[in-house]
Amino acid sequence: MPSTVAPGPKITLDGKFFHFTAGQTVLEIARENGIKIPSLCYHRKTGPCATCRVCVVEVEKMRGLQASCSLPASDGMVVKTHSKQITEARKCVVELMLVNGQHNCMSCERNGSCELQDAAYELGIEAPSYIVNDPVEPLDDSAEMVALDRRKCIKCGRCIAACNNVVVNEVLELGKRGSQARIICNDDLKMGESSCVQCGECAQMCPVGAIIDKKSRGKGRSFATEKVNTTCPYCGVGCQIALHVDRQANRVVRITGREVAPNDGMLCVKGRYGYEFHASHNRLTHPMIRKNGKHVRVSWEDALDYAAERIKGIVDKHGPDVFSALGSGRITNENNYAIAKFTRAVIGTNNIDHCARTCHAPTVAGLATAFGSGAATNSIDEILEAHVLFVIGSNMTEAHPVVSYYVKRAAKSGATLIVCDPRKIDLAHWASLYVQHRVGTDVPFLNGLIHEIFKNGWQNETFLRNCTENPDDIRKWVEDYPVEKASEICGVPVEMMRKVARALGTAKNVSIIYCLGITEHICGTDNVNTIANLQMVLGHLGKRGGGVNPLRGQNNVQGACDMGALPNVHHNYQSVNDPRVAEKMARDWGVPSVPTKPGYMLPTMLHKAQDGGTKVLFCVGDNTVQTEPNMAKTIKEIQALEFFVVVDIFQNLTTQYADVILPDVCFNEDDGTYSNLERRVQRLRKAVEPPGEARPTWWIVQQLAQRLGVDLRFTSAQAVWEDMRRTSTAMAGITYSRIEKIGIQWPCPTLEHPGTPILHLDGKFTRGKGLFCRTDYRQQAEPPDSEYPLILSTGRRLWHYHTGTQTRNSVGLEAMFPEELLEISEADAGRLGIKTGDMVAATSRRGSITLKAWVTDRSPLGLCWTSFHFFEACGNVLTIDAYDNVTKTPEYKACAIKVTKVADGTSPKALIARQARP
Amino acid sequence: MNAIASLDSDIIAVLKGYPDATQDQLIPILQDVQARLGYLPREAILKISDHCSLPVGRVYSVATFYNQFRFRAPGRNHVQVCRGTACHVKGSLSTLDTIRDHLEIDNEQTTHDGEFSLEVVACVGACGLAPVLCVNGNVHGSAAPDTVRKTLSSYRAKEKSHAATR
Repeated sequence: MPSTVAPGPKITLDGKFFHFTAGQTVLEIARENGIKIPSLCYHRKTGPCATCRVCVVEVEKMRGLQASCSLPASDGMVVKTHSKQITEARKCVVELMLVNGQHNCMSCERNGSCELQDAAYELGIEAPSYIVNDPVEPLDDSAEMVALDRRKCIKCGRCIAACNNVVVNEVLELGKRGSQARIICNDDLKMGESSCVQCGECAQMCPVGAIIDKKSRGKGRSFATEKVNTTCPYCGVGCQIALHVDRQANRVVRITGREVAPNDGMLCVKGRYGYEFHASHNRLTHPMIRKNGKHVRVSWEDALDYAAERIKGIVDKHGPDVFSALGSGRITNENNYAIAKFTRAVIGTNNIDHCARTCHAPTVAGLATAFGSGAATNSIDEILEAHVLFVIGSNMTEAHPVVSYYVKRAAKSGATLIVCDPRKIDLAHWASLYVQHRVGTDVPFLNGLIHEIFKNGWQNETFLRNCTENPDDIRKWVEDYPVEKASEICGVPVEMMRKVARALGTAKNVSIIYCLGITEHICGTDNVNTIANLQMVLGHLGKRGGGVNPLRGQNNVQGACDMGALPNVHHNYQSVNDPRVAEKMARDWGVPSVPTKPGYMLPTMLHKAQDGGTKVLFCVGDNTVQTEPNMAKTIKEIQALEFFVVVDIFQNLTTQYADVILPDVCFNEDDGTYSNLERRVQRLRKAVEPPGEARPTWWIVQQLAQRLGVDLRFTSAQAVWEDMRRTSTAMAGITYSRIEKIGIQWPCPTLEHPGTPILHLDGKFTRGKGLFCRTDYRQQAEPPDSEYPLILSTGRRLWHYHTGTQTRNSVGLEAMFPEELLEISEADAGRLGIKTGDMVAATSRRGSITLKAWVTDRSPLGLCWTSFHFFEACGNVLTIDAYDNVTKTPEYKACAIKVTKVADGTSPKALIARQARP
Repeated sequence: MNAIASLDSDIIAVLKGYPDATQDQLIPILQDVQARLGYLPREAILKISDHCSLPVGRVYSVATFYNQFRFRAPGRNHVQVCRGTACHVKGSLSTLDTIRDHLEIDNEQTTHDGEFSLEVVACVGACGLAPVLCVNGNVHGSAAPDTVRKTLSSYRAKEKSHAATR
């Protein structure tokens, strides 16, 4: 079509002209221009339902009143949004709603934030003019987090649209019809017995008080609480949330999602409801020192003096390299930078690392080698623009729920979703193609796909020629992996491999999303490189809706890497062994020199403890004992330390070995920033006062440094950020004031730069040209044998986070998933005489745990699965301390175990119902 | 156990007739399952949902939208009481109340012995005979409260004598 130069279409609303873009509805145009039309069923996210009829308007040349929410505007349309007739119609509708239900504003949670109340108020309805005495349905209070009060339901259908089309959890529906119509969960189960995962999107979208956040009842309505915008403290999605704070009680009483990037208001059960931990009685509130084997309370002065004196004594005697520090993916950018600077500028060693070592270090290493930058290339919302979504090694409905909403939505609206996972995870239900490859066979599987893509000429030849360094190499390397051979290794039928290769090779746009199923192997870096190879062959890099997108695990594990809590790089990934960097940092930090020898990686730090190579460990927000593989070995190593300082918010398995415990503040007790998995630097704000004498890490670091003779000039979180920003080109343009409302994605080199949603734009890689790396199949470190015949893989549950310190100290999450389960296939369980609910012992060469069995078709033959959230039955007692040879990331995803039945038990039914789509 | 197994195999048999079903086939599938089983048990809703790759809630929502689907096993004798306009004028409410009291069940329920199930319907198209009662499709006109007990008893007796001859 030829383009027109005529001005866009116009509409008249209440006598005024407005321009609009084709496709907009009358309601949207009115809202955009500040004309108020009440509407109860319409919401921007769910679109028009056209059920409530409150938004009616008069349109010239159209008979009767029109629902503006579903009326597309047309050029020259003349609309009246207010008239006597309109008011009468709206009044009638609202009155009918008030009549058909039991609306009691006095006791309603939504009083003051209710759209029905607002509509009644604006229309001048004092009380409904008559009363219907229909039988009353009792409140459905069966679920832990969300209460469903059908007495107040106006049947607008917003919650149903939200559940099915926004978060795509597909629980809520409308049952029956006419006057008997009612919101139902699954096939009319009580919400607490249904497959509802309690994400609370329905509660946030409900215009009235029919679906409410159960835990917030009676704790303060919207007008009584102060809203503090901040970032969710759970996974790496970095959802934007509003804390509803009761100032007097110094507590968060409710959380709602903010409708901005990246989550557009959506949250998961942890983010929306896992907040009470901040006010838990179990919080660490005072510094403690171990005296005669017992932790006793001391003053900050005493604790800091003691810690500084011990550190100084040991470092002076043995040199700086006996000191190691652990930052954390769970603490702010500022705190990670503070620890890194302390380690490098004050102690003089590069022995700093953090928990990315145990998760995405292969991503940072692999993608940095291939592309020049070790971060996700694209943004979360671009998922909706991908034609094919290739998800491998990511159980995102549990570990990154909000990303999974986007993925499921894309799949539902027509994108081809390919899910590859040894376990039949819930996401497989939404997949067009589900691939069940054997654990640890990602390299041959992916190489087989690349081979097939070349064989059929589906590769992007232009991209290969223009944007990559060694395209001929990859063509040659994958010759060793024809699909027939790859299929034999990975166990995926040849036909399926061909189907997947075709789907990838012929797609207009492919987004590759992966997670720890790729990285937590002895071949983790190879796995990542193979993914990079695949995407470079396909050529969907540097454009919207494509890319290689690792889902970073923790709230700020991206940031912890960015801030240089790594042994080989300073913040902004500046190599420690580059003399120019060393000189620059020494000058900026005002110290004579900074160390240039790369430090120890986390496993090395611990390993060296046993031979005296590591004597001091300064550990912040990292429950090392429970998170490292082979717990018995980790404990021995930690016990061998001469001096062990732990900064944390709770007692945990690790603090019990500490010589000094220092109480940290948590996510809502200080300012700061987190960087999410799409490199978006987002604000964290102080909302409540910390408990007892808890202090921020940067303050602790500042105090220790002062006692060691250096003033780091850390006076606030913002001061720390500014200190870092001076020497980081990627962050140079990001200031607190610029990210006041919405975060910015690095690289952002100047104050005018808008940030970078897509890396390597147009295939121009950060390193210049993309580099293919050769990868070959390697067997897992500990293959199953006759004594330990099963493979154990580990991961995360929806209901818990990390080592459970936050989720198990919040109300309701523990009730929904109270104890750990060992997932085992029906065939294996049958052979071993095990049924769901039986107590079983899972034993590896390193230890044994006792837990309940869950016999499920999620597990294929020969594979068991559990998590590491529960210290009582922690998967890491069993996991193997075998590491990726490049990044020393442990192989959490595969070790050999045997399973024996300990005692009969009964099936925890409700608990399992919530695990999977029914 | 056997009853459940046969239920399952009945449902599976119906679904076999709809390979690669999508939501377009949902209503025919629901109808076929009901034709075979007499109602839609929970197992059927779950299996159909899985077979058509539709959320359970969607299947149930569609099924409950239409009056033709039942969710409880019907009794050996299915009693329909007409509450259409003509029957209402002729006192069908007392007829219905009498039946409720007599059978001790409510609309859409089945007696404990599985003998009778009760369904309130809008109009059976026999207004001239109002108030009307249908049992197993047989129309009983002028069903005044004092006659319905007898009518129902006759079905109970029929059922019993039928069982005896078998």
